[in-house]
Amino acid sequence: MDHIFPEVHLGGIRFDLAAIFMIVITSIIVFVIAKLAVRGASVTNPTKMQNFLEWVIEFVQNIIGTTMDLKKGRPYLTLGIALIMYLFVANLLGLPFGIITHAHEGATFLGMTLDLGGEEEAHIAWWKSPTADVAVSGALMAIVIVLTHVEGLRRNRKHYLKHYIEPYAAFLPLNIIKEIAKPLSLSLRLYGNIFAGEVMIGVIMGMGWFGIPALIVWQGFSIFVGAIQSFVFVMLTMVYMSQAIVHEEHH
Amino acid sequence: MDIVWSNFFIQLIAFGILFWLLSRYAFGPLFSIMEQRKQFVKEQLEGAENSRKQAEAQYEEQKQSLAQARKDAYDIIEQAKHTSTKQADEIVHAAKSEATRLKDEAVKDIESEKNKAIASLRAQVSGMSVMIASKIIEKQIDDKSQEQLVDQYLNEVGSK
Repeated sequence: MDHIFPEVHLGGIRFDLAAIFMIVITSIIVFVIAKLAVRGASVTNPTKMQNFLEWVIEFVQNIIGTTMDLKKGRPYLTLGIALIMYLFVANLLGLPFGIITHAHEGATFLGMTLDLGGEEEAHIAWWKSPTADVAVSGALMAIVIVLTHVEGLRRNRKHYLKHYIEPYAAFLPLNIIKEIAKPLSLSLRLYGNIFAGEVMIGVIMGMGWFGIPALIVWQGFSIFVGAIQSFVFVMLTMVYMSQAIVHEEHH
Repeated sequence: MDIVWSNFFIQLIAFGILFWLLSRYAFGPLFSIMEQRKQFVKEQLEGAENSRKQAEAQYEEQKQSLAQARKDAYDIIEQAKHTSTKQADEIVHAAKSEATRLKDEAVKDIESEKNKAIASLRAQVSGMSVMIASKIIEKQIDDKSQEQLVDQYLNEVGSK
């Protein structure tokens, strides 16, 4: 029994309603958490939520501090916090439950015809981690990679351009491969981990009642994986950023 | 792999909006608060350092004035001791001289009384000798009666 995602065609473009739905929910959750944390924020008497968010900020500051000079990395602090919060919530969102509806050929959602892939009837999964979609994690990767190249060109142009032909001009293809491998590894690692976690949950669900202990173990492990992946993503973001903007000292 | 490309752009836009909202409404205020707290802690530390220095200076001052007071008290005691010794000496000296004076006076009195007594005794003895002599002259009859008379007057003198 396979689940498909609710897709509609609108003006000739394919839309995945579940992904859109989950992206919006994740964004709202992140914003509400952040907004709650700064509500009634004070200098001398921080609330518990404020402490939590300040802990997150310091955590990201530490990540930046390990890769580059904290003064140079200061502009990317907000990006890092937004990324780690968004990814953490997105990675864990698909874990607790699923919403599956049964649809027949010709079913509609808000007046839009659902694409059932040519089948007569299908089970549609509405609830998933947004990062379990390769396009979503690809978009986050694109933000980071484009930003690293832009920042490299803007703040460190000479060294940034020079690093493509270092140590010799013959290394240019290798350096280009390296630059292409970065975004691929960044997005596919995230997508692969979260997607695999959800597939595994689907498989375990297929075991019925016997699967409950395995499901508990796997859910716990998925929480761990989700947290680690969001950490790794932000860590690599800062590493790439530092490679682009900091010139290496040659003596 | 089935890629829904619209998701890519939707995620781009969604993250852009989320980033803008977060930095506008959440992190901006929080960063400024964290900065203020840093400032606050710095001020508090400086204040604490200042008051510690002040307390130290005051403690030093107190210590000095206490030492000064101790020294003054010691000096006063020393002076008092000195004065009292001097006074005691004076008193003893005065008492001694007074006693000597009294003793001398008493000796003088005794001497003068003795002289007076001797003088009066002499006068009496001479008078009596005259009387005895006159009696003897009156009654020069015999030796026996003379002797008797001398004895009689001598006895009178002795009994007197």
